[in-house]
Amino acid sequence: MIKLSNINKSFAQHQVLDELELELKIGDRIALIGQNGAGKTTLIRTLLGQYTAEGQLSMFGLNPRQQRIEVLQKIGFVPQHSPPIQMSVGELVDFSAALSLTPMKDEVYALAGKLEFDIEEQAGKPFFKLSGGMKQKLLIALALSKRPEFLIMDEPAANLDPAGRKAFFDELSLLPQNTTMLLSSHRVDELLPFINRIIEMDCGRIVHDQQLADEIKAGKSLDCKIQITGEGEAIRKTLDSWKFSNGSNPGLYSGKLAEADRTKFFIEIAQFSKQIKELKMEAE
Amino acid sequence: MSTLTLPLMGFQNSFITTVIAEIRESFRAKWFFLYTLIFGGAIVMLLALGITESQVLGFTGLSRLLITYIQLCVAILPVFILITTVRTVVGDRESNVLEYILSLPISLGAYYWGKLTARFIIVFIPVLLALSGAVFWGAVKNLTIPWSIVGYYSLMLASLAWAFLGTGMFISTLVRKQEWALGLAFLVWLTLLLFIDVILIGVLLQNQLMEEVIIGIALLNPLQVFRTGAILLFDPELSLLGPASYVILDNMGYTGFLFYSILYPLGLGWAFSWLGYKIFKTGDLV
Repeated sequence: MIKLSNINKSFAQHQVLDELELELKIGDRIALIGQNGAGKTTLIRTLLGQYTAEGQLSMFGLNPRQQRIEVLQKIGFVPQHSPPIQMSVGELVDFSAALSLTPMKDEVYALAGKLEFDIEEQAGKPFFKLSGGMKQKLLIALALSKRPEFLIMDEPAANLDPAGRKAFFDELSLLPQNTTMLLSSHRVDELLPFINRIIEMDCGRIVHDQQLADEIKAGKSLDCKIQITGEGEAIRKTLDSWKFSNGSNPGLYSGKLAEADRTKFFIEIAQFSKQIKELKMEAE
Repeated sequence: MSTLTLPLMGFQNSFITTVIAEIRESFRAKWFFLYTLIFGGAIVMLLALGITESQVLGFTGLSRLLITYIQLCVAILPVFILITTVRTVVGDRESNVLEYILSLPISLGAYYWGKLTARFIIVFIPVLLALSGAVFWGAVKNLTIPWSIVGYYSLMLASLAWAFLGTGMFISTLVRKQEWALGLAFLVWLTLLLFIDVILIGVLLQNQLMEEVIIGIALLNPLQVFRTGAILLFDPELSLLGPASYVILDNMGYTGFLFYSILYPLGLGWAFSWLGYKIFKTGDLV
């Protein structure tokens, strides 16, 4: 459905996407993780046809630069930072609805309502004057109401209150199974129930690409050894919480992991990546 | 729906949607309020000061008012249009508005030309309303209304506005920071201002440049072309202007120059706006 082949993108001689290879299939629900500067936002903007890049990019068999309207009709997008759009809430809904081929206005009102955002009440208010959470709810409602084939969300739940998060995740779970999702988030743990694939980026490359469902179902466990550098009190505490132990070598920790916990483990230790010298995992 | 009709329908749809959204947005913007206040207020102020009843170099009534209004437009209109237009694309880009808007199924052409068209309407309406107000006042006061001058002058203002809107959009797509866009806009305006007739006399006198070079520079400068063309409507001998204008008139004739003063800025506006669109369309959008 979506294929990126040998994609390169650089800004002022700084390589941001480096020979990137990626293929997404219908129904893939992906958590896109990686540190700041890993290339996540650049990848998203390339998929949306907003950046030019070297290499081959095919979205639904189309080129997002040359056939942008056809491609973008199939995509719902929620950006990381809600932009300071001057339009009023009502105008923004009308604007989005006017550009969409499918009638979506009633759906936007209904979805926003489920996310506890009353469009009618706020219709005359400029979008940029809404609170961060309200902006996010409206953008989510606009993206979901298109019934997109491909949903791209960059930190979608970052500004939502607990009730809003719950409503948002409820809506995510109601999406048709054939909806492909790319969700970039720093809190992948809360996305785990909705995803079936996890992709980690670093320095413009995909360094980890894991299909979740099959391995988790198999119930296997893994022998894990991790060599850390420096004092690293925080990483040591994290490893302790995973019941890892260290022997004579104070920097070498070892322990056992359930296959189902592999992703959660990766997510937790990813923040200490600079202190990790070596990581080995072997299936028992 | 066929893949051939979809882009066309998409363009029309998103063009109209963009124009409406941009006009609505501009009506709320502070710059538009200030702009309307200046250009509408100027006419009101000139009428209040009784300028239609004064006489300078043979001009009186509405002609006197219009000639004063022209001086004001030459001085303020280009720089106002430039500083408000150069932020259009680059401002949306910096604030991440463009990232969101261009994630919607909107054609790039519709976005760019829709913004430009809406800006033109927004910029031209207050000026046109001010002129209409002056004509209405003249009718109420039983003054002779110089219809041909009002008509030509409106066309010239539209042409001048288009020239600077095109230049502004070009700058807006060329740079990645609003500060750069504003700096470049002022530089363009100052350069054009430097090369109007009065300064050209100085250059001619001091450097003994060839007459053709001076005339060429004058003809390329839309400010000079507008100024000469506008004064020509009232003063067919151009006795009020400097030597460059006089030589231009001598070479092109009255009607020829009036046409030139409308068509050249219009062409310049199209050329720059087209270049801006090419840059916008081919580069990184955000």
